[in-house]
Amino acid sequence: MRDNTSATSRVVATAVSHYPKVGDGPGQQRLRQTIAKVDRGEVGPEAIAEAAAAMTEAAIEEQEQAGLDLITDGQIRWQDPITRIAGALDGFEITGLVRWFESNTYFRLPRVTGEIAWRGPILAEDLLFAIEHARRPVKAVVTGPCTIAALSDLGGREMREVTLELARALNQELRALAAAGAAWVQVDEPALVRNASVEYPRDFDVFQEAMRVLLEDVPGRRSLYLYHGDAVDVPGLFDLPFDLIGLDFVQGDANLEFLQRWPRGCGLGLGVVDARNVRMEDEATVERLIGQAVEAVGDGEVHVSPSCGLEFLPRDVARRKLELIGRVVHGVEVGA
Amino acid sequence: MNGLKGGLLTTSVGSLPKPPELIRARSQAARGQISVEELDHLARQATRDWITFQEQIGMDILVDGEMYRGDMVAYFAENLEGMGISGLVRSYGNRYYKKPIAIGPIRRPAPITVDWWRFAQSLTERPVKGMLTGPYTLCDWAFDDYYGSRRELVMALAEAVRQEAEDLQRAGAKYIQIDEPAVSTRLDELDLAIEGMALVTKNLHVHTTTHMCYGRFETVYPRLLDIPVDEIDLEMTNSGLDLLERFREHPFTKDIGFGVVDVHSHQVPSVEEVKDHLRRALDYLPADRVYVDPDCGLKTRSVDEAKAMLTVIQQARDEVRAG
Repeated sequence: MRDNTSATSRVVATAVSHYPKVGDGPGQQRLRQTIAKVDRGEVGPEAIAEAAAAMTEAAIEEQEQAGLDLITDGQIRWQDPITRIAGALDGFEITGLVRWFESNTYFRLPRVTGEIAWRGPILAEDLLFAIEHARRPVKAVVTGPCTIAALSDLGGREMREVTLELARALNQELRALAAAGAAWVQVDEPALVRNASVEYPRDFDVFQEAMRVLLEDVPGRRSLYLYHGDAVDVPGLFDLPFDLIGLDFVQGDANLEFLQRWPRGCGLGLGVVDARNVRMEDEATVERLIGQAVEAVGDGEVHVSPSCGLEFLPRDVARRKLELIGRVVHGVEVGA
Repeated sequence: MNGLKGGLLTTSVGSLPKPPELIRARSQAARGQISVEELDHLARQATRDWITFQEQIGMDILVDGEMYRGDMVAYFAENLEGMGISGLVRSYGNRYYKKPIAIGPIRRPAPITVDWWRFAQSLTERPVKGMLTGPYTLCDWAFDDYYGSRRELVMALAEAVRQEAEDLQRAGAKYIQIDEPAVSTRLDELDLAIEGMALVTKNLHVHTTTHMCYGRFETVYPRLLDIPVDEIDLEMTNSGLDLLERFREHPFTKDIGFGVVDVHSHQVPSVEEVKDHLRRALDYLPADRVYVDPDCGLKTRSVDEAKAMLTVIQQARDEVRAG
């Protein structure tokens, strides 16, 4: 297998998590049409895996063509950010539809029914598929224990207990992903941010404890992504054993204050292109912010990305947003 | 019981399922295979059938069933200047929609729903509701490539919806519903939703309703009661029953549209189940302030399922009224 962890330059163009599963162009509705055919009983369920594989290859190709240096598999096989993980663990049942943050997209609410445990690798196969089909390094992305717990029905159990059980289960998942060759292992914890519109339960002590359990003996480079708001009131963010912290500078413009106090050497994920609206960014503004970020991190890496996953956008716009990132990053003067 | 004889009026939330021949015709029309006139003819026939059905089972306030609309946001976006339509965006599972985009100053060039309302009302003596989508939801379910301010976008849309609502009132509508399912989405924008609705309803003298769904009502209650309409229609079966207890503490001060059937299920409830819901409602609210309907629009159900659900609702209401 080709080396998936090769060194990158200091300013890296990347995506955060998901990519649109369908588009409006020819052939881009294959997955949607296949699922509909399976629902109608016209073809067997194995057709979905084939269509998802084809769409994953397309998502990889589009990220690479846009100029990204570090990609994801587009999470084409994920129904939503929660159930793909919770539904594959012991101790959950998946119930009705609930709104995802203040978006007009939905996820199925998991309900805790027993002890949460890891049954075996959940995403490793997807990662291996992506690595095999990609020319650029692929990162593995997992929704974190705090977010899954905050967005679940705890079935009467304590938040701390559920979060830590999740952290232990997902620690095994992260180790499996690192072993499978992930360039980065990324943990998404959007429920930790401050979002004026939606309040999910946040317990920072439990967060600190859970992240340490989660990362125990996970080799390689590890990142934490916090989007859909700002993280300025999250204590101890830089004491955690992450190599890079990704923030949303679109919905969380208060995050700009971090640039004054970013610990030198810690990587910064700069979510600077709005992944939730079609309006295209002014390239000069993006470029300026990258310049500030490069200065703030010292010899750390800056990962320039959309503000969050791209499935909130139509495919053609998602692609144009990535192209903008590719263009700006590869035109940026990184300095001496 | 207070107002039981005249109370518990039955109605629908808005959309009803399109018959298969109309669904087929809509996709044929989109591909240019049949004419606009042919499609219009089928939509009128389907509207006639639904009006007849609602009358036959004895419903009190009818809807036209929205046989000519795709979805509740795109339909208005298509008929407003300054709004365009984007590519497909996923909402959940295998469900996608074409999300509208504000691309310029929003203006209503002509009445949008008034001719359809007139047509439906001409078919029956019973009142037919005028059905609109509220400005906050039109904004929240669209992209913005022009205004750059949610408040400005909401208020521009509110002006367009106000004109439409006043035209419906002028045409003779006695009930006007302005749906705001997005209202409980953002805690920090409830005031903006209220401000938008205030502009829409400021010159309306007829009975006004707003429908909301997808939960979290408890987070915006009782502030929700400040929304300037006569009646709030809530999805009480799927997600609102938790709210009932709150009514003891903070009485519900408006009329309520009380959803008694979960529309996301293929299961048609029994008359007894629906009667139970109605009796629970009457523990908290006087009958003359309660309107009875399904939780939400029925367009995702089959025609048979929707008819069965409405029939059960009507029968349950009649039996509760009879005592």
